[in-house]
This record gives sequence, structure tokens and C-alpha cells, in this order.
Amino acid sequence: MFNKHNISIYAIAFIFILMLNFILPRMMPGDPVMAIYGNEALVAMTPELKAQLVERFALDQSLWQQFVAYFSGLFRGELGYSYYFNAPAVSVILGRLPWTLLLVGTALLISTGLGIVLGIESGWRRGSKTDRTLLSTLMSLNGFPDFFLGIILLIGFGVTLGIFPLSGALTPYSGLSGIALMMDILKHLFLPVGALTLAYLGGSYLLTRNTMITVIKEPYMLTAKAKGLSQRRIEYHHAGRNALLPVITRTGIWVGKIFTGALFLELVFAYPGIGYLTYEALMARDYPIIQGVFLVVAISVLLANFLVDLFYSRLDPRVRHAY
Amino acid sequence: MHINIKREIRESSTGKAGIIILVIMIMLALLAPLIAPCNPYHQSPMSLLPPSFSHWLGMNHVGQDIWSRLLYGARTSLMVGFGTGALATLIGTAAGISAALIDGLYERIMMRVIDTLIIIPMIIVVILLSAYIRPGVITLILILSFLSWQGGARVIRAQTLSLKEKGHIAAARTFGASRLYIAWRHIVPDLGPILLVDFIYNVRRAIFLEAGLAFLGISDPNMVSWGTMMRDALSYSYLDAWRWWLIPPGIALSLTIVGLTFIGHAAEPVIEPRFREVGIA
Repeated sequence: MFNKHNISIYAIAFIFILMLNFILPRMMPGDPVMAIYGNEALVAMTPELKAQLVERFALDQSLWQQFVAYFSGLFRGELGYSYYFNAPAVSVILGRLPWTLLLVGTALLISTGLGIVLGIESGWRRGSKTDRTLLSTLMSLNGFPDFFLGIILLIGFGVTLGIFPLSGALTPYSGLSGIALMMDILKHLFLPVGALTLAYLGGSYLLTRNTMITVIKEPYMLTAKAKGLSQRRIEYHHAGRNALLPVITRTGIWVGKIFTGALFLELVFAYPGIGYLTYEALMARDYPIIQGVFLVVAISVLLANFLVDLFYSRLDPRVRHAY
Repeated sequence: MHINIKREIRESSTGKAGIIILVIMIMLALLAPLIAPCNPYHQSPMSLLPPSFSHWLGMNHVGQDIWSRLLYGARTSLMVGFGTGALATLIGTAAGISAALIDGLYERIMMRVIDTLIIIPMIIVVILLSAYIRPGVITLILILSFLSWQGGARVIRAQTLSLKEKGHIAAARTFGASRLYIAWRHIVPDLGPILLVDFIYNVRRAIFLEAGLAFLGISDPNMVSWGTMMRDALSYSYLDAWRWWLIPPGIALSLTIVGLTFIGHAAEPVIEPRFREVGIA
């Protein structure tokens, strides 16, 4: 079913990520306890605690034994303890993950849908005024870094007009529930999703437009015209549908992006997802969180890519013989 | 493959716009020491000053001249961008061509490495590395290059495989040309346009990532960067200062990336002639 080549590259990638996470803090000059536990641990550090940590990571033993200790900890689902958040790193990270999924997932959905429609319209009218305006606008938009788009929206709608909340994912201590809570979450979601959607839009638009341009030259387009079908029907059912395949493929590739797509943007809105968590951890030099985020995100992306690969080889038998 | 890439870019209006934007940025970066009114590192007690005749974009929170920092930021951005672009394209070309020309174990290992690097989310690896290393310009170029050559290498290998079967290369081989000679004399020139597009994408990604890392605050704090400026300014967004402190570096960064996107788009017909623009000429 699924070829061996693919499984082996995922295995290699997985090992590479584990090794990086293991070796990096141990290569840093100075006390490895510091590099593994970060600044915040130093405040709480007593000789007993330090001895306990050294023992836990087998830091006084050989590199190999350290690796065994690290790996068996991972196997039990331990990513270490964050002294900054005063909680196990795993629970901190898992608590933040849903917000990132909500934010990036919504933005990906909207930008792909909108990009496809605009791409079909633009490709169909290739060279027209509409096409040229859309192309140059969206291509420029494509160059704007998502965090700068976020800053513009934040200043425009949040600071100057005051329509939308400036930061966070919901109003703290508001005691809202049901519909009111949902509205509150949507209100906080609006600006960050808007910025991400604008940042992603160019990609799906350009791809749809490009495939549309090649599709409308196919002989079956002429047949459709000869059959006397309405222009709308030809545009969407005959051309558009066939132009969709590469876009769907690309969206699949982007599924992995759902975990990394908002790393910079979340900081602008202090949106409590993985990106903002990374930032907080970086500022506090809270290495268990940094390492945990790296591991969780990298492995989630690998897993997402793996599933997409698996799905495609079932969907399109040609892919299975590609190697 | 006999399409003139220079003409292709010159004849597209977006391509021309891209070149103009990029040339202006490069000029500003090169001339920064001559046109910057102040030392970008020099701190003064005049913090958070609005724009004036002597300080066009005012002063930042530690009394540094924002206009001078904007100019020097262009240097950092373009140095990281072009440095990474050159090195990553070089590695990608060497890996791609060699994997296509040398068969057997070498090819299998090389392809394994490329495929593995392609599925690893580069951005999170870069963030982890930077969190520990706090890279400056040179380190950043090295990190970004070693993590971003794989996509280009795959395309270059595929193209080399098809070039390899062409008559003139078979002819060169019968005359006893070595692999290195064939690669340098026949393959690299024919790959030209693809290498250019690969280079542009590498530059673009590097510029974006440099700014992003600085914005997160995990690159060398002594580096003058647009990302750092935006990060500092964002914490004063309740003041009016964002108008001259936050927006200019954001615009400069976006313009640079847009310029590169335009050039890349204009160069695309070279690879896929069907996309040649009609009406945009």
C-alpha cells in the first residue's frame, strides 16, 4: 500500500528532530542544568533541587545514558517542568494548541475558498482589467509579512477606530457563557484571522489562476462551448473544477502549516496560542517550553504530512509509483 | 530553454516595478554610511522624539535616530537575504546536479537527505536554533542556507535528469568529457533561469525570516534590523510614535519582499512559458 521509501524518510526526520532537541542544550557553554531548565529555574534552585534535576537527566553520566534518560522520559509523555508557568510543559502546550488550530484553521479555510473563486474569475478573464487589478493587488499582498498586516489591522481597527479588542482570545473574567462567549471569541478572532487570510490569499489565488490559464486551453473547453452551455457553467463546472486539483494538493501540503502558520502573528495580538507561548518562553528563557513546543510542533507537522501523503497515494494511484 | 530571461523580466511591467524597488533598496543599503545623518547605535537622552528637521523619523525609546536605523536595517536585511540566497542556491545546485549525474549509493543518500529536509518544518527548527544561538548576520546566513536548499535541489535534479538525455550532452560524453566538465559547461548554463527563480525565492524567504526572528527577539540584539524596530515600536503602540517608528520599517520590509515577488513572477514564464502574461506586457 504505502511505500517503504516514505516511511523511512519520516523515520529519519523524526530521529533528526529528537537528536536536535537532545544535543542543542547540552552543547551550550555553561551549566547544562541552566540550558535545559532556563532562567526561571535558577530562582527556585536549591542544592537539593539541582541534585534532583541532575539525577533526573542523568547529567553526571555518559552522553549515551543521558540520551536513554531523555528518551524514556519522552516515551512517558514528559517534556519537563516549566518553572515560569509553574506547570508541566506538556499541559501548558496542550492548553495553548486549540487556539492556534482555531486561528490558523479558520484563516486557511477562508483564504483557500476565496483564493479559488478569485483565481477562477481572474484566470477566466485573463488579461482583462479585472484580472490585472486582482493580480497586482494580490501579488503585492503576498509580499506583506503576516505580522505587519496584523499590525496594520491592529492599529487601524483596534487602536484608531476601537471596534475590535486589541489582544487576547477572550475577555478575561467576563463570566460569559453560551452565545455571548462565542461572540466574544469571534470578536477577538476577527483581526488576527483577517491578517492571516490576507497573507495566505495570494498563494491559493496565484495557483488557481495559473492552472486555470492552462485548463481553458484544453479541447474539452471548446466542446463545452459548442454544446451551448452557459458561460457560468463552463467557467465553474468545466474549467474551475479541473483547475482545483493542484490547489487541493497544495492545501494538503499546507495542513502542516496549521501549527507553524501564526508563530509571528500571535505575538502582535497577544493571542494565546503556540506562537505567543513560544514568545513568552523565549523572553523568560524557559527552555522546557521552547523544547516542548519544538517537539510537539515538529512532530505534529510530520504526522500531518504523513497522513496527507497516505491520503494522496490512495486518492491518486499514480503517486504510489512516483518513486 | 532558449528564452531570454532578461527580456522576459524587462517586458513585464510587474517585473520592471520589482527591479526598480530592489535597485532603490540596494542603493539605500549601500549608501547608508553616507546618507544616514547619525550613527544608528548612538543613544541619546532625546527619547521618543517626533519627526523633526534634524531627525526625519524622530527618535526611538533609547534616543536613536530612526531614519538612520531604517537605512542600516536595509543592509542587514539585504545582506542576510542575498547571502542566504547565494549560499542556498549554490548548495542546492551542487546537490541537485550531482544527484542527477552520479548514480548509485550517492544518489540514494542524497535524495534521502533532500526528502527528509523537505518534510521537516524549517521555521520551527530555525526558531529553536536561534533561541540558543542568538545569531548575527553571518550565523543567520549559515543557518538559513543549510536549512533551505532542499526544495531547489529537487527541482534542479529533475531538470538535470532531462537535460542529461539531450544530444549535445551525449556528444560531449562521447568525446570523453568528465562529469564535472559537463556539469559546469553544459548543465549549469542551461539551468540558468531555474537557478535565478530558486535564488529569488531563497532571498525572499531569508529576508522574511530574518525580520520574523528579530521581531520575536531571538536574533543578535546588536544587529540593526527592521524586525527589531517593529518589535520595539509595537510596545509603544498607544503613542502616536507608530506612525514614524512602526510603519516605515514595515513598509520597507514589505516593499522589498513585494519587489522580489514581482521579479519572481515575471521570471516564471521562463520555466513555464504557458504563463506568459498577455496584456500585462
